[in-house]
Amino acid sequence: MPSNLPQSFGDAAAAQQRFLALFLRSEREIFRYIAVLVPNVIDAEEIVQQTALELWAKFDLYDPARPFTPWACRFALNNARQWMERRQRWQILLADGLAEELARRREELAPELEGRLVHLEGCVARLPREQRAVVEGYYYRRRGIEELAEESGRSVEATYKTLQRVRQILKCCVETAAKMAEPAA
Amino acid sequence: MKIAFPSREFEDAVAAVCHGLAGDEQMRALNELLRTDVGARDEYIVRVELHSRLSSDPSVFAVSGGTTTAEAPTQNMPGKDHRKPAPMSTGGAAWPLALAACLTLLAVAGFAYWHEHSGTRETTSTAVAVLASTADAQWRQPSDLCPVGAALEPGWLRLKSGLAQVVFYSGARVVIEGPADLRLISPQEAYCSSGLASAQVPPQARGFRMGTPRMSVVDPGTEFGVEVKNSGTQLHVFKGEVKFQVQAAPKQNLLAGDAVEVDDAEAIRTIPIEPALFAKAFELQQRSLAMQGVRRQQWRAANARLNADPSLLVHFDFENSDPAEWMVHNEASQNAAVPDATLVGGQWTEGRWPQKHALEFRSLSDRMRLNVPGGFDAVTFAAWVNVEGLDRPFNSLFMADGFSQGKIHWQIRNGGELDLGIQGPTREECQIFASPAVVGPEQFGRWMHLAVVIDGIGKQVTHYVNGVAVSRHPLKLEPPFLIGDAELGNWNPGKAPKTAPYFIRHFSGVMDEFALFKRALSEQEIARLYSDGNPQNDPAFSNRESVSQKVSQLARPIIP
Repeated sequence: MPSNLPQSFGDAAAAQQRFLALFLRSEREIFRYIAVLVPNVIDAEEIVQQTALELWAKFDLYDPARPFTPWACRFALNNARQWMERRQRWQILLADGLAEELARRREELAPELEGRLVHLEGCVARLPREQRAVVEGYYYRRRGIEELAEESGRSVEATYKTLQRVRQILKCCVETAAKMAEPAA
Repeated sequence: MKIAFPSREFEDAVAAVCHGLAGDEQMRALNELLRTDVGARDEYIVRVELHSRLSSDPSVFAVSGGTTTAEAPTQNMPGKDHRKPAPMSTGGAAWPLALAACLTLLAVAGFAYWHEHSGTRETTSTAVAVLASTADAQWRQPSDLCPVGAALEPGWLRLKSGLAQVVFYSGARVVIEGPADLRLISPQEAYCSSGLASAQVPPQARGFRMGTPRMSVVDPGTEFGVEVKNSGTQLHVFKGEVKFQVQAAPKQNLLAGDAVEVDDAEAIRTIPIEPALFAKAFELQQRSLAMQGVRRQQWRAANARLNADPSLLVHFDFENSDPAEWMVHNEASQNAAVPDATLVGGQWTEGRWPQKHALEFRSLSDRMRLNVPGGFDAVTFAAWVNVEGLDRPFNSLFMADGFSQGKIHWQIRNGGELDLGIQGPTREECQIFASPAVVGPEQFGRWMHLAVVIDGIGKQVTHYVNGVAVSRHPLKLEPPFLIGDAELGNWNPGKAPKTAPYFIRHFSGVMDEFALFKRALSEQEIARLYSDGNPQNDPAFSNRESVSQKVSQLARPIIP
């Protein structure tokens, strides 16, 4: 522990620190795990928050010899299920075992997904300025579509479509980049 | 409804799911497709993963990050997001999605740890609000992590029962009554997913937004309440006028005294307004307003003593300022030599307390002119300011015209450093004293007390933020120090070389008090000025901690 932390921190504080260290390192991965089930960002974030609280409450059950992320993801799946129970639309989407199937298949695909998404940064950087502005506004600056529409003077519908198109472009770009990288490996 | 794969409908459905806009029919059709078509399922996973990666990994914008904001500056409103281009993935500490609001308090305690390990985090706090008061509050999250006065980071507040008042850094005050869930998003935005929430939005928080599952409310400066239940969401407007929006429909206005309900089918109907529903919340708001009233009285009493101080040359408290007047009275009663000041532009707005006047500087020409004759061995400046942004390389607080020998300039650089300059016998001998960066985006939109002491006898210059010394510098130049014709919130370059852009130095923000003494105030006296004028009794309301934390952090090397 760095020396500039107050020494008076009790055991609880030390546990909190350990928890935070582990959780913050896994947070993105937990978010993505949930997002394959509930891709809407605000909703997925809500489930992450609930999961964080549950993880913290059960932190004394965590075995430090084992990796944290898979342990956390088990709770994440449960939290997502509980969350869905109160939201009919999402229940419909994930009904009949689809939730479990998506989570399982995503794990299988993980290396392949990683091989593509490693190119995402380069693909974003290559976007024409206007397209980059939309994707950056939505995902990085976290503006609503309506706000982005207002900023750019375009309609909400057009902004939504642009965002959809840019995702499509990025998807093709990372796929191409991954293919090109293959033979060299 | 059936969705083919591959098809346009499939793409649209995935996009709708990502934005949370898919309807029941679309969801059902997608479920059917994804369960039966392995190819469609894999494609779905790929698309969703791309979307979730973009949402959760700021480092993918590392190269382009900030370009759009630079091209289209968003006038640094307090509610705007000032995230810098995100660091490369270093462990998630910089990711905006944080833990539950209260739980993140731990992150502050553990900050030193993060800093050591991530090495790239620029600010010590991303807090957006303060938990100002509670009444019988029972939390659905570990309650010891939610003390009154706690700085709240973006995240959820989950109240089981009782009341809690959250004061956003924009100035908006929201009371929730449990059971309620409120997500803090930014100083200008909150989202209530269930329960009762009432909001008071003073002028400086114009544009505060409150989202709910069925409608969002954009408030141009007023009082309203929302009740979010499974059966529907109600909006009651008690003062002023609000705009609200149901999903993608156009915005609608709702005036004071009116209320609407939006049901599950997104149908809007007018309902009778029901102030009783929010009675408890109002009571808590009133109680906290009453406490603020007490603070203001204490400040007035302190001012009466201050104004009699023979070393006080200038004191503008803007208390009795008549908005129709363009002269501002100097309250320093022992020094008739300094006449009243003249206002050139500027806007009267709300100050540290409701109904208290303060002066807003916004445009290039806004300024307050005054004349301070004489030469001094020592000088102290102190001001309460609410910085909206640091748009210029130099942002004037108080500056003598021109920059001839002995003249003083007090300003903030756009990097957030407090800057005091004194001209020497020649231009080469001028001395510039800059503090570490202490005014950052997390201070924007918040009241802060700035002071600087120029001590020609003790040969030292000291910068203060919220009553705490943030840097001390040896002073070589000899008195007398001069002011003469000078401006608050701007600079008249006079005969100084007009090298653009440096001669445009107007301040963007609000000033609520300014004092000038012809002596060096002690550290205790500066701390006293701060505590006498602090709008909230609660020390946690100010950003004293975060500033001193920031300063202690600066003692260690930081990544530029």
